[in-house]
Amino acid sequence: MPGADKETDLSERIESFLSELKRCGSGAGSLRGSAETARETTALLRRTTAQARWGNAGELMEIIRKEGRRMTAAQPSETTVGNMVRRVLKIIREEYARSRGSSEETDQQESLHKLLTSGGSSEDNFRQHFAHLKANVIEAINELLTELEGTTDNISMQALEHIHSNEVIMTIGRSRTVEAFLKDAARKRKFHVIVAECAPFCQGHEMATSLCKEDIETTVIPDAAIFAVMSRVNKVIIGTQTVLANGGLRAVNGTHTLALAAKHHSTPLIVCAPMFKLSPQFPNEEDTFHKFVSPHEVLPFTEGNVTQQHLTPFSTLKTEIVNKFRKKKLTQK
Amino acid sequence: MAGKAGKPSRPRKADKDEEEQPLQAVLVADSFNRRFFPITKDQPRALLPLANVSMIDYTLEFLTSTGVQETFVFCCWMASKIKEHLQKSKWCRPTSPNVVHVITSDLYRSLGDVLRDVDAKTLVRSDFLLVYGDVVSNIDISQALQEHKQRRSMDKNVSVMTMIFKESPPGHKTRCEDDDIIIAMDGKSKRILHYQRAQALKRLHFPMNIFHSGSDEFEIRFDLLDCHISICSPQVAELFTDNFDYQTKNDFVRGLLVNEEILGNQIHMHVTKDGYGARVSNLLMYDTVSSDTIRRWVYPITPEANFADLEGQSCTHSRHNVYRETGVSLGHGSQMEENVLIGRNTMIGANCTISNTVIGANCVIGDNVTLDRAYIWNRVHIADDVKVKQSVICDNVEVKHGVVLNEQCVLAYNVVVGPDITLPEGTVLSMHHPDEEDDEDDDEFLSDDNDVGYRKDKTKLKVFNPAEVGSEGKGYRWKTSSLEDTEEDELAECIWGEILLNQFLYHGGKLFSNLDKVMLEYNPHIAFRTVWTWKRYIKMYLKTLVEQSLYVSSQLLKKWAPVFKNYVKRPQDQLDCLASMEEVFLERETHWAALVKVLMSMYQLEILEEEGIMHWFNQGSTTDKSQQLRRNQGLLKFIQWLQEAEESSEEDE
Repeated sequence: MPGADKETDLSERIESFLSELKRCGSGAGSLRGSAETARETTALLRRTTAQARWGNAGELMEIIRKEGRRMTAAQPSETTVGNMVRRVLKIIREEYARSRGSSEETDQQESLHKLLTSGGSSEDNFRQHFAHLKANVIEAINELLTELEGTTDNISMQALEHIHSNEVIMTIGRSRTVEAFLKDAARKRKFHVIVAECAPFCQGHEMATSLCKEDIETTVIPDAAIFAVMSRVNKVIIGTQTVLANGGLRAVNGTHTLALAAKHHSTPLIVCAPMFKLSPQFPNEEDTFHKFVSPHEVLPFTEGNVTQQHLTPFSTLKTEIVNKFRKKKLTQK
Repeated sequence: MAGKAGKPSRPRKADKDEEEQPLQAVLVADSFNRRFFPITKDQPRALLPLANVSMIDYTLEFLTSTGVQETFVFCCWMASKIKEHLQKSKWCRPTSPNVVHVITSDLYRSLGDVLRDVDAKTLVRSDFLLVYGDVVSNIDISQALQEHKQRRSMDKNVSVMTMIFKESPPGHKTRCEDDDIIIAMDGKSKRILHYQRAQALKRLHFPMNIFHSGSDEFEIRFDLLDCHISICSPQVAELFTDNFDYQTKNDFVRGLLVNEEILGNQIHMHVTKDGYGARVSNLLMYDTVSSDTIRRWVYPITPEANFADLEGQSCTHSRHNVYRETGVSLGHGSQMEENVLIGRNTMIGANCTISNTVIGANCVIGDNVTLDRAYIWNRVHIADDVKVKQSVICDNVEVKHGVVLNEQCVLAYNVVVGPDITLPEGTVLSMHHPDEEDDEDDDEFLSDDNDVGYRKDKTKLKVFNPAEVGSEGKGYRWKTSSLEDTEEDELAECIWGEILLNQFLYHGGKLFSNLDKVMLEYNPHIAFRTVWTWKRYIKMYLKTLVEQSLYVSSQLLKKWAPVFKNYVKRPQDQLDCLASMEEVFLERETHWAALVKVLMSMYQLEILEEEGIMHWFNQGSTTDKSQQLRRNQGLLKFIQWLQEAEESSEEDE
């Protein structure tokens, strides 16, 4: 009976998480931060590992894949969910390999060799049962969670290397990573920040207020003035929603304009992205790639019968525009 | 398993009790009118698909996302279908945060009946949301709910209801013309001072007393769209029980506002600018709300979100609001221009032009078809060269080639429309014959005056008219005029009922000339109700009599004698009448002398008989007070006189 209770409790949590994902952004200003989503996804996956019934690594991976598919289907534009699921799957594979006793490289070599010779899938590798696999996987997921907590701090530690005194930095919209980055640099350096407001949600205003509290000189400019002001800017630092597999970005609306203006003036563009934003997806389908929200921010409902109206919170940046990526200092696995 | 039923019922503080109360909602899944006939002959309105999802799912999603934890769904027409649908849906899964209870009864005839049932079963413990089953909305109620609770705690439960409106200019297409309202409100406290249906009115009258309400900011607003969502306090259910002439929400609001000085109840309102809320009350609204949903005004309730968690219902959203579900195949040269939703496994032929349309699952559409503002449901076959403009085509319909459907046509379930026919505007075709008798449905809210002379053996020949449906067609044509008539009758009945009983109760029955009509009116009502409500009716009348002067009351009693005689026929009825009189008089000790007079007049008017009165008097009384009553001098004398009269009449015989 307690097992059944746990399972229903688990499915309740998953259901409520899914509904929250589906409903997220019902008011455009209240978009949930990706860090929170990543943390909740990982916590949910850890709970699934602990409470679901599975005998070997293969079964566990199936369960996680199934849940992962449901979560990504709920809100396809929220890529952090998919990223964390893939990381957890990778953790499971590694722990399995470690339990078997073979090291990582030889295992890979073996499986490639196996692919060439036998041509069968390496799925049967995961069928062995190990007693401590569960504990190991949970421990590794805990480590992942700690990494998640510290990722913004890691980026902020590099701030002093990039921002020098009396520089003019430009940014757009509101990114918690960039905010922490700038605040960290402000402790030792004096510089000026220009924030593009990023209509129609105008998140730039909130960013500016928050920076002002730390005594950073901030100016808010409308999106149309980006090009005009760019000649006076030393660096452009932006955050992003996702980093795509080809190096492109999916960032907030208006970033493309900013990046083109920076390229024209040969201003360096720095992207601050924590590790859970790296996604293996490619920007293939132009049509269905974007998320569209209610048009009432642009033209209110009362304006009558408007035939066509679209409002998308994100825009895509091509690879070539981005010069530098600043992720956490440790090398990626 | 959701565990809501096991909540502790005795928390320590009263405030904490209110805070911990889960938010409840009452969902009325029946609209008590026949606007969607003949479509709703086969399927209840709450289950009709809007953008390929049943309408009740939208309402439940709205309630769940706004934090409701317990919903009571009341069904009358085709209740079993609604129950089945809900049990298969995600709302009845054990993991659902919203616990759904389905309550069905064949006796509900109006919103008033539902709320009286809510009161009788004491289902609601605190403030609850009242919605209809066809409301589509994404409004976040929490702010309005906060304001409502604050008002109630500040003013000691004076505010009874908060209605939610959306700002929307006159003439906007999401405003339902029948629902147009003019509201006079107090700008500061958001209290409604005057509420009037503005449909087709050229002149409006505002009573002067609303401007004396003590505030200095008034607004008269015509730019409001009624979302049909209300936050009600438990008093609302009680008020409906006390006044069983309140049948619709309109009655209730008008009644409260008219009687505000006497009862002191107030209604407030909340206007939302950013949210979307609308009710699908007729086919025009269906068209509008459908297109609003497709154009994402109701975000995050959008077609590709698949919020109802239906298997296989995932769709992709592309440019220009084109949604395609799985398995859709498009022929060569076909264009989906804008605002189109295509259901799964639908096949569309070559060179079709589709815009502003919703197509259901498993449809087959031929070549060269033009669909503009068409709403096509599941498993429909449309042959080649068909043009459809602003029409609704229900499940399993077959449209043969060359057919042109003009604006506002409705093809109900299983109809076949023959080749090469052009249907004029406003044609309604159905497999049900328009004069068909409804066996299960002998409701009287339609006031079937037109059918008074109708006899059952007057069956028409059930032959399809090829001029209406084409040479290979099947279906009968419904005259649109019959649909309009019933609407007006329904309105008249409401107003009729309200005016009558209000005046009766509060102005002493001036309309005595209309007694016959009163009886006609209320006979069927009472036949369906249990006896105790009739007792209450008598009790209320007696209460008002006693409150006024006795001189007036004896005259009134004479006037209302026929009414009483009509109801008090059997000995049991007399006992009931006497019991309610006893109840009334027990509350007012000072008026016991009046009891004798009333009994006397009733006896003389032959409403009550000696046997009845003696039986009542000799019945063992349970409370001290009623024993005291029976020892009253005047009453004892009357009983004595009665006995002597009885004896003398027996001697005479």
